[in-house]
Amino acid sequence: MKFYKDHYDVIVIGGALAGMSCAMSLAREGKDVLILERHNLPGGMATSFVRNGVEIEATLHEMMSLGKAEDPLYIRKYLDEMNVAIDWLRVPEAYELLSKPDGIDITLHAGRRSDGTWVCADEIDAVYPGTKDEINRLLELCRSVYESVLFLNEHTMSKAMMLLKHEPLVKTAGYSAKEVLDTSFDLPLNVKKILSAYWIYVGQPMSTLPFTIYAFLMADYMMGGSFVARGFSHEMSVAMAEKCEELGVQFEYGQNVEKILVRDNHVYGVRTSRGDEIHCDYVASAPYPNTVYGKMIEPQSEVPEAARKYANAMPMSVTCFSVILLLDQKPEDLNIRTYSVFSSDVPFDTDRFWKEGRQIGGWNYLTTICLNYANPEGVPEGMTSLSITYLPLPDAFLELDADSYFEFKRTVAKEMIDRVSGHLGVDLIPHIAEIEIVSPVTMSHYTSDYRGGIYGYQHSMDNSVVARLEDLEKEFYIKGLVGCASHQLVGDGMACNINNGRIAAKAILEWMKEAGK
Amino acid sequence: MKVNGFLKDVTGASRVTKARRTLIQNGNPANIYRDPIREVALEVHPEPMQVRCTQVKDASTTAKTFRFEAAGGKLPPFQAGQYVSFELKIGNTVTTRPFSISSAPFEARQKDHPFFEVTVRRGREDGFVSNYFYDSVHEGDAFTVSLPFGQFFYEPLRDGRHILALAGGSGITPFVSMAKEIRHGTLDADLTILAGNVSSSDIILKDELDQLAGGRVKVVHVISGEEDWQGEKGFLTSDLIRKYMREDSSFFVCGPQVMYQFVRGELEKLNIAPKRIRMEVFGAPRDITKADGYPLKEAQTFRLHVMRGIHEDVIEASSAESLAVAMERAGIKNKTRCRSGACGYCRCKLVSGEVFVPSDGDGRRWADKKFGYVHACSAYPLSDCTIKIIIEAD
Repeated sequence: MKFYKDHYDVIVIGGALAGMSCAMSLAREGKDVLILERHNLPGGMATSFVRNGVEIEATLHEMMSLGKAEDPLYIRKYLDEMNVAIDWLRVPEAYELLSKPDGIDITLHAGRRSDGTWVCADEIDAVYPGTKDEINRLLELCRSVYESVLFLNEHTMSKAMMLLKHEPLVKTAGYSAKEVLDTSFDLPLNVKKILSAYWIYVGQPMSTLPFTIYAFLMADYMMGGSFVARGFSHEMSVAMAEKCEELGVQFEYGQNVEKILVRDNHVYGVRTSRGDEIHCDYVASAPYPNTVYGKMIEPQSEVPEAARKYANAMPMSVTCFSVILLLDQKPEDLNIRTYSVFSSDVPFDTDRFWKEGRQIGGWNYLTTICLNYANPEGVPEGMTSLSITYLPLPDAFLELDADSYFEFKRTVAKEMIDRVSGHLGVDLIPHIAEIEIVSPVTMSHYTSDYRGGIYGYQHSMDNSVVARLEDLEKEFYIKGLVGCASHQLVGDGMACNINNGRIAAKAILEWMKEAGK
Repeated sequence: MKVNGFLKDVTGASRVTKARRTLIQNGNPANIYRDPIREVALEVHPEPMQVRCTQVKDASTTAKTFRFEAAGGKLPPFQAGQYVSFELKIGNTVTTRPFSISSAPFEARQKDHPFFEVTVRRGREDGFVSNYFYDSVHEGDAFTVSLPFGQFFYEPLRDGRHILALAGGSGITPFVSMAKEIRHGTLDADLTILAGNVSSSDIILKDELDQLAGGRVKVVHVISGEEDWQGEKGFLTSDLIRKYMREDSSFFVCGPQVMYQFVRGELEKLNIAPKRIRMEVFGAPRDITKADGYPLKEAQTFRLHVMRGIHEDVIEASSAESLAVAMERAGIKNKTRCRSGACGYCRCKLVSGEVFVPSDGDGRRWADKKFGYVHACSAYPLSDCTIKIIIEAD
C-alpha cells in the first residue's frame, strides 16, 4: 500500500505552529509539502484536553501580535492574509503583579493612545506619582524597537541605513534590559519591578535578557494586548491545520520521524518509526538541533563538526511545570479577580527567580491564569479553570526517576497550589474537581522535544536575537535542512513560532530559487 | 537624578554577535546528546510493547485472570485503576480493547518478574472480544499492548481520603488493583468496596478480595439474586451507599453500562457533589439505535471511504456500528484506545458525510466539533462517508 508520493519538495517534521505556518507559506507558492506530526493532534503545545466532558487549555497560552481587528498587528495580518479564521477573545488585562514583600499589588492594562501615552503609565503613576513621563518614554522606545524588528523581519538593509532608520534598535542592541532600564530611565525600583513582570514569558532574567527582546515583548503586550481563542489553543491549531490541507499540504498524524537522511551534505528524505522512507529536497525540522544532530541525521558522519559545536553550545531555555485545575466554584467565590497574576513571595528579583529555576520546587515567582475572565463560555457554569505555572530550567529535572515520578509531581504541585491559596486567602485544594500536572516529562511525552524544552534556546546576551539574525545563513550546516520551531531565530511563543515558520519557508524558497526550482 | 538620552553606543550589535560566535566556537565538537527527561517520558509513557502471557488462572466460574510480562522485562509505572489496551487479531478483524489492570502497580515495578494482570469475564458486555480472550488466550501467547491509560485512579490532591468503590460484576477489577496497592502500603487511602453481583457463586476475584480485606480495605459483597444471602442484598442503593460512606468519601463507579444510570440516580438522592464522583468510561453503547437522538429508523449499510495518506479504501459500514468497528471488520487497523469516545486517540477527520455521535460518548474538543473531526469509536455513519485516519499499518 502506498501512503506517500514518491517525492515531496519539502517535508516538515512537526505539525505545530511553526511547522504549519512554514507549510502554508510554501504551499501558497505551489510547493508540494508533507507534514509529519507524531501526535494525533496539530499544534504541539498549543492544544487542549478534555476531562469528564470539560475542555481545558493545556497550559499558559496567549496569542500576541494580533492587535484589534480594526488595528491589526502582524500576526493578525498574516492570518487574515492566509484566510485563517479564529474566534479570538481579548484578554481583559495585561497582568496583575502581586509582590507582598515589595508592597506591590497592581493591575495593568494594554493600550496606547494616539498621543503616544500608554494606559499602564497612568495606572502606575496613580500609585507612584510622577513616573508616567518616564514610563511613556520607555514604552515609546520599546515600540520603536518593536517596529524596527518587524520591519527587519521582512527587509534587509545595510548597517548605515539601519542606523539611520532604526537608531533606537541599533543603539540598544548591545545591552540587557536591566542595563537600559537602570542607565537610561529614572524610575523608582518598584516601578522597574512592575515593568519587569513579563520576564517569565521569555524565561530570561532582566540582567541577561537583551533589551531588544524586552522591548518587543513590552510593546507587543502593552500595545495590542493578548488574546485567547474561544475554542482554546486547539482551535487555532486546527484552523491552521485545515488551511494547510486546503492549500494542498499532505498532513499526516501519528508519524514519528526517526531519521533525517543526508547524502553529500544535502538532505534527501526522512524515515519514520513505521519504516516509511520518504524523499524530498528540503526538510524543516521542529526537533531541536541537539536531537537532529545528536541522533536523527543518518548517517551521523554527515554531521559537520560546526553543527555539533553549535548545538552543544546553545543554552537551553526553560521548560514548564504547570498545575492545571478545574475548581468547583466560581472565581469570585475563590477570591480570584483577574485573568493573569504574577506573584512573588520574596522581594521581586528576576536573577533570584531564574536561579530558583535550577531547583525542583521552592519557586517564588508563579504565574496564575484564570481562563474564566478571558473565555467565560469555555468554562462550565459555576466552575473555575485555573493554571499555576513556573518555567524552570530542564537542568533541574535531569535526575528524575520513573518510580517516584507521580509522587514528585504531586509534591511540587501541592506546594504551588498552597502558595496561590495563601495569596487568595482561600484553600483551593478542597475545590479541585480535576487536576492535571504538566512537567517537563509531559512536554517530552507529547512533543518529544529535547529535554522537555518549550522555549528553545535562551534569549541571553551571548545568544541575542540580533546576533542570531546576523549569522542566520551561516547556521544552515546541512544543505536543505532548516530549523522550524522555537529554537530558531525569533524564539518562543505562539506568534513567534508562526514567524519562525515563515522564516524557515523563506529560507527554503530562496534555496529553491538558487537551484532554479 | 535624571539620566539624559539613552545609550549612544552603536557597536552593541557587533558586540553581541561576537559574543555569540565565541560561545558557539567554544561548543563541544563531540556528540554528547543525552536526554534523561525523554528517557523518563518513555519509561512512564512507553511506546506499544510486546508482552507474553505467563499465567492463566480462574478468577471465578466465569472469569480468568491473565498475567503478562514484558518481552523487554520492563513495564511502566501506572496508577491503580488505569487500563491497558490490547491489540488483537480475531479472524479477519483487527481491533483493540481496554482492560482495567487488576494487579497492583508495585507488581509491575518489582525487580523479579514484574507483571500486570487483567481479569476477563466470559459472555457479558462486549462478548466478541471477552469471549475470545477467555477461550483463546493461553500461557505463552504474545501480544502488543499499550499502557497505562485512563483517568480512573485515586488522586490525593483531588479526592477524599476514603474511596467508596461502587463495583458491578467485572467492574471490580480496578478496585482489586487499588486494594492491593493500599495493602502494600504504597497507596495512602482508605477503601471500601461495595461489590455488587447477582450470585454469590460467581464473584470475580472473590478469594483475592477476601484476602485483601482488612486494615484500610473493607469489602462488602452485595448480592442481588439470592434471598438467603447472609449479607447486603439488592442493588447499590442510596441507603446502602449512605451506610458505608464517610464525610471524606470519593465515589468511584465501575461496572456494566446499566449500572451507571442506576448508581448516578442513587448518588443524586444523596446530594453528592459532582467533584466527588468518578465514573470509569464504559465502552461503546450496546445498541446505538436506542441512544438519545438517534435519527435512523432502521439499520442501513453505507459506503465508507477511508483515506490513509494518498491511499483510499472503500468499505461497507453499518449504521449500527461505529466507524472504528467498520474499519476493523475490513481489516483496517486504526488507533483506538478507550473505545468510549473519551480519550480522543481515534480522532479523525470526517471529510464528508454525516455521522451520529451519542452525547454520552462525545469527548470531542470544541474546535474538533467546529471543524468536523470525530472520534471513530463513537461516530456512527448516517450516510456514505469519507474519513481520513492515521496511517498505521499495511
